[in-house]
Amino acid sequence: VRNRAQARTADRRRIDRRAFLLGATLVAGAGGSLVGAATVPPALSNQSRASSAPISFHGTHQAGVLRRQPRRTVMCAFDVLAAGRAELVEVLRTITDRARRLTAGGIDPPAGISAPPSDPGILGPDAPPGGLTVTVGVGDSLFDERYGLGDRRPARLTRMPIFPNDRLDSGQCHGDLSVQLSADDEDIVINALRDVARQTRGAMQLRWRIDGFVSPPRPAGTPRNLMGFKDGISNPDVRDPEEMRRLVWVAGGGEPAWTAGGTYLVVRLIRMLTEFWDRISIAEQEQIFGRRRDSGAPLDGMREEDQPNFPQDPTGAVIPLTSHIRLANPRTQQTATSRILRRAYNYDRGLDQVGNLDMGLLFTCYQ
Amino acid sequence: MISRSLSGNRRLVLAAGCLLTASVVAGVSLSLAARRTSAGPPTISISATHCGQGWTHPHAGTQTVWLENRSDAGAEAEVIDPRTGAIYGEIDNLGPGTTRPLRVTLGDGTFAVRCLVEDMDAVVGPWVTITGSHTRGGPAVLPVTVDDLLTPLRENREYVQSGLDQLAGQTDVLLATVRAGDLDRARAGWLAAHLTYERLGVAHGAFGDFGARIDGRPDGLSEGVRDPGFTGFYRLEYGLWHGQPSDQLRHVAERLDQEVHTLDHAWAGMELDPGDLGLRAHEIMEDALQDELSDDADEGSGTDLAAALASLQGTREVLATLRPLLLTRYAELSELDTWLDRVEGLLQAERRSDGAWTPVASLTDRQREQLDGAIGRLLELLAPVAIICDPRRTA
Repeated sequence: VRNRAQARTADRRRIDRRAFLLGATLVAGAGGSLVGAATVPPALSNQSRASSAPISFHGTHQAGVLRRQPRRTVMCAFDVLAAGRAELVEVLRTITDRARRLTAGGIDPPAGISAPPSDPGILGPDAPPGGLTVTVGVGDSLFDERYGLGDRRPARLTRMPIFPNDRLDSGQCHGDLSVQLSADDEDIVINALRDVARQTRGAMQLRWRIDGFVSPPRPAGTPRNLMGFKDGISNPDVRDPEEMRRLVWVAGGGEPAWTAGGTYLVVRLIRMLTEFWDRISIAEQEQIFGRRRDSGAPLDGMREEDQPNFPQDPTGAVIPLTSHIRLANPRTQQTATSRILRRAYNYDRGLDQVGNLDMGLLFTCYQ
Repeated sequence: MISRSLSGNRRLVLAAGCLLTASVVAGVSLSLAARRTSAGPPTISISATHCGQGWTHPHAGTQTVWLENRSDAGAEAEVIDPRTGAIYGEIDNLGPGTTRPLRVTLGDGTFAVRCLVEDMDAVVGPWVTITGSHTRGGPAVLPVTVDDLLTPLRENREYVQSGLDQLAGQTDVLLATVRAGDLDRARAGWLAAHLTYERLGVAHGAFGDFGARIDGRPDGLSEGVRDPGFTGFYRLEYGLWHGQPSDQLRHVAERLDQEVHTLDHAWAGMELDPGDLGLRAHEIMEDALQDELSDDADEGSGTDLAAALASLQGTREVLATLRPLLLTRYAELSELDTWLDRVEGLLQAERRSDGAWTPVASLTDRQREQLDGAIGRLLELLAPVAIICDPRRTA
């Protein structure tokens, strides 16, 4: 039995380690994703991967929010260059037109000898929709003085703050618009990215971009992140419209009318020091997360679906008070409404300055 | 600079072998109300003797027609409006015996296939007509021929000659200042001369090996900036902005001056391909974006944006000579003008009151995005110029 002082020291050490291993955040983008989209009930999480039928861009909510996460995503931020409001309107219309076209599939009419081909050709002559979703958000900076949109600013939209332990590159933070393109196949998202960037060239410019992927379940259940742990087990139930209304969708609450049916998107890039991670004991890894690595079960449970029982473990003897699952979701009445819908992707992008792998989590969530 | 004169040359070769012929066959005019065929896509013959045979059921809308080369030589094929000569779609390099699809959008109007078999006169197939569809076809664009490009070509040649004459005078001055050890004036003279060279972008491909010796970058050299093969403007820039003494730079300036004079004299006998004009119209700024705006080309002077502006001026010169052709062919010409002005304004804004230029590395994120985005949009609008001004054979 540890005494309290020892426990505190251990906790502090754990939280430092957790912060050190997980917290080297390089990118923080904040976008309030607040554009209307689908009356069609969003297709839900248990859908099979085979489905590549067109997913309509239009509806009450944006289609990409609640859907099962496709295998591939490109999350990017654009800065709007439009000179004035009329050009801003034009670029938003272009995004809508292209999103409609890309999600429906097919290619534009031929340009003949008047121009180069309008499509990059990577999807072949038929350009299938490939289950593409296009999720568009507006960032805090769009509501600055440039376009006179100050009075339309969503009530809770803020510029992403800098958190302790963040290590930020300003060129990879923030942005006027977020555009997330997701599908099961890489060529579908790349095609969409090239199309949107090309068709809006001059009116907006890519500011940063992160590619993400979801691994297949190993062996089953929630997919794993690059630390080997199942990620996003305790998400709210996307099949429960009432819960989604409470936790995800914007309605009333002092928000401008145009935001109804939208949601707030948070994007953070969480660098994982995977080499360091691989050098620490399995016990410490599991204490940092609060779950078993193999099964995903909370440390007080057997299976990934088991609910951790924090009240029964007030001192953190089984699931440390500083563990990720306890800090992220203490499961109290007070924190029930602050739950988020996690939609994290893994990212993997080359090497850092010391030759370590630059990989981690493209953390996105709706709240 | 990418060199892409191959297809242009090929067209020249083809054009040289043919006589002046208007449409050889003015065929029957079929009047067909717009309707869809049920029997799959039609295959249309491309040959000198059976041109257009098999095209009996044209319908309105975007569609794929299959073109089969039934001759024993390579061919080009076009779907045209035979009354105006405007082209709806074309296929190049159609090998003998091969069939390829061509997507076109047809509406109310008269259409025909033009067959351009290698070494044979052009033949226009039977006319077919669509009426009552209330659909607009197109875009259809009048072809630009080699003949159309002769005046622009002459104007560009003259522009380049006078630019080279000016440049030769400037490198003389540059050499004199380096010899005199007046490196402040040498730096000013270097910029003036380099910008003159940058304004001649239309001919950079045609300059051939002169280009590498006058404006070569150290990238492909194993020793980089210390490589003995590193010569010309960038070599001199490196020395002038890295504290190299004048006696170390004298031979560099001498060689540059010599090369420029040789080129100035040689230009009258060098070839500028008609197909180059349209290609350079967009390639000059493609290079500017990739080399100047990326800061890659800078060897210390921080004048990338001045060079980008010179590239823009060079682009304007080419466009001015093509403008009479584009007026009737390019629907977005005024949009192109708008973006030329925008890019020019953004670049001019980076020239400080003392005449110095903002180095690319000192631009704010926002300024960089504005420039990159505006040049990107300009490039999207310049790209069609290359396609429209690709010289085409019509006879």
